[in-house]
Amino acid sequence: MADTLEKLLQNPHLWRGRDQANTPGWQGLPSGYPKLDRYLPGGGWPRHALTEILLEHYGMGELQLLMPALARLSKPEDSEAADDAEAGWIAWIAPPFQPYPPALLQWGINLSQVLIVRPRQESETLWAAEQALSSGNCAAVLMWLDTLDDYSSRRLQLAAEKGQSWAIAFRPLKALAQASAAVLRIQLTAGEKGTDLGILKSRGGRPAVVRDYAG
Amino acid sequence: MSSPDKSPAILREAAPTPSVITKPAHLQKTPAQQSLTPVAEPEAPRATPVRRLWLCIYLPALPLQALDDINVREAIAVFEGREGMQRILLADKKASAAGISPGLAVNAALALLPALCLRERSLQQERQALEALAAWAEQFTSFVCIETPSVLLLEIAGSLRLFGGPSSLRQRIATGLESQGFSALLSIAPTPKASTWLAKAGRRVCILEQADLTSALRKLPIRCLGWPDSVKEHLSGMGITCVGDCLRLPREGFARRFGAGRLLELDRALGRLPDPRQSHRAPERFCSEYELVEEESASDLLLNICQELLIELERFLLTRQLSVQRVLFGFFHLREPATHLTLGCVQASRSVQHWFDLLKIKFDQLQLPAPVIAIRLAGGQSQSLTARTSKLPFNNAGKRQSEPIAHLVERMSARIGDESVHGVTTVAEHRPQYAWMPAGLTESAAVSSYWCEESRVLRRPLWMLPEPRPLPVEQGAPVYQGILKLLDRPERLETGWWDDDGIARDYYIAVNPAGIHVWVYQDRRSGDWYLHGIFG
Repeated sequence: MADTLEKLLQNPHLWRGRDQANTPGWQGLPSGYPKLDRYLPGGGWPRHALTEILLEHYGMGELQLLMPALARLSKPEDSEAADDAEAGWIAWIAPPFQPYPPALLQWGINLSQVLIVRPRQESETLWAAEQALSSGNCAAVLMWLDTLDDYSSRRLQLAAEKGQSWAIAFRPLKALAQASAAVLRIQLTAGEKGTDLGILKSRGGRPAVVRDYAG
Repeated sequence: MSSPDKSPAILREAAPTPSVITKPAHLQKTPAQQSLTPVAEPEAPRATPVRRLWLCIYLPALPLQALDDINVREAIAVFEGREGMQRILLADKKASAAGISPGLAVNAALALLPALCLRERSLQQERQALEALAAWAEQFTSFVCIETPSVLLLEIAGSLRLFGGPSSLRQRIATGLESQGFSALLSIAPTPKASTWLAKAGRRVCILEQADLTSALRKLPIRCLGWPDSVKEHLSGMGITCVGDCLRLPREGFARRFGAGRLLELDRALGRLPDPRQSHRAPERFCSEYELVEEESASDLLLNICQELLIELERFLLTRQLSVQRVLFGFFHLREPATHLTLGCVQASRSVQHWFDLLKIKFDQLQLPAPVIAIRLAGGQSQSLTARTSKLPFNNAGKRQSEPIAHLVERMSARIGDESVHGVTTVAEHRPQYAWMPAGLTESAAVSSYWCEESRVLRRPLWMLPEPRPLPVEQGAPVYQGILKLLDRPERLETGWWDDDGIARDYYIAVNPAGIHVWVYQDRRSGDWYLHGIFG
């Protein structure tokens, strides 16, 4: 009986919902914070999808949250440690300040794969983000947006799927009430010890609050 | 028939090759045998036997077809002044049907058909048409040579494989010529002369081997060789009508009577002597113009025309294995000065699609002051195409399939602006504001090892402010969204006397009540506090 079952399970035509997290498309990108990974479906950031990060002030640890994953994605192609299928450029679109290269280097980011774009208007930000996502060059596209309607977020999500890229949109807290097509929405708040991370929406996962994610 | 035993003086004058005169009379073979044997001795040094194959394009109706503004409904004839008389050179179908044939006097032709449209032959237009055709033909071979007035020679031995054999290549060329409105006679032979003669004789042959050449040329009538009338008359008077008859004549006698040049031509045609040709090269810089019938402002239509021009550019570059980094569009208006639009790309390219994508982005932003009457496309300085070998696609099924990053960067800089899209690199410099700089995106910038080594010791913020922001002070401590708490001992950064931007600062890592870690400094000269970075 167990033998038959084993055989059946090996049949590639059989699809099990529980295994979803183990199929390549669902394998999350390790965030580098084990505490956080436990709450994310697939054990990490969703690949090829839009992630929204809502925060009150810049500098609440939103970059440190992403750095280990971005470092993984920006490894040069010939490096042994590189996650081969995913490595690529990291685009920063409309950052509020200057991303500081020496610090990026300290976090293990490959600077030769960093692309910084400073659009003049919000509409250009969306356009540039969509271009970067769908071109297939960028492993991750970070963008800072004040407004993002449902329609635009859907477009970004589609572009991310098309270009197999990870889209990360940083938005103010007031965007909380707006609907969004993002696969993962998280909120950063200052906690008693370090930064607290609230998962508001997560495809395949559940809302949760991770206190002091780095701890 | 000429006799072989004449005085040596005349022989020396007329004979084309030394081998003819060095042979004593008694050693000479019978005329028939001798004329067929190669002129040069077998052991004479010859060039390495590179196989060559020549395709001749003969355009018999070029004087008619090179005319640019002809009305197809009229009967047309081209005339030229010959010996003080204007005679018809070529007549089209309608005119020929009315009895107008080449050689007819113009007045007689007009008497036959008063409505005849007469044009004087324009050698300049014919030359232009030939040059345009030569440029077109460069897609088939790198060696095109123009033989005025109406012959193009293409060396095709190297192109056979690519185009699927001689007949397929010839078919392609014939179709191409027909679509451009030229009627042509094409033939293929191992020597340029032979292919020209065969084409002029209207033989659509394809001779691939040198060995088959002589038998193919034998039956060729003398009138196809383009020799002067006096020579032709002389030969026909002797009962010689075809090349085979000529070959049977003794060499030195033939040379004496008809000139060494004639014998040389025969030898070259048969491949006994080399026949070097000069390759024609079209200009290396592309410039093409499209004139509209009337003023237009519809952007769809203008873009379509631009695309046509870009296709032309691509063909031009493809035949030369070149690429350009910059193209210039000029939109001309009737009453306004021309509008110019320059497109540039990071990596030289020749792909229509690539340039067209860039053009569409720029065109959306372009404000044309008036409707457009003509569009010109000029290519910038061209450079030879550098192709890169890509990796074999083994074991990377999941690898990202992407266009070059340069294309993305170009699209973005076309819309947002060149300086708004850049990479970054570090500089070996202790002053924080000088420790990095923007970098180009195509060449991988060398990352200074300074920051790799220092990276373990010094903590640097991920966000940097473009300019340090002064902070107010409350209760002796700086304030940024609340009173800042300094976390560590200061890191003292000083001097920069070499470029008049010296600093004397104590940097601190601080945290505010909201938990934001910032990088602040106290200026040691003034004692003021500044915010310089946020740890993010």
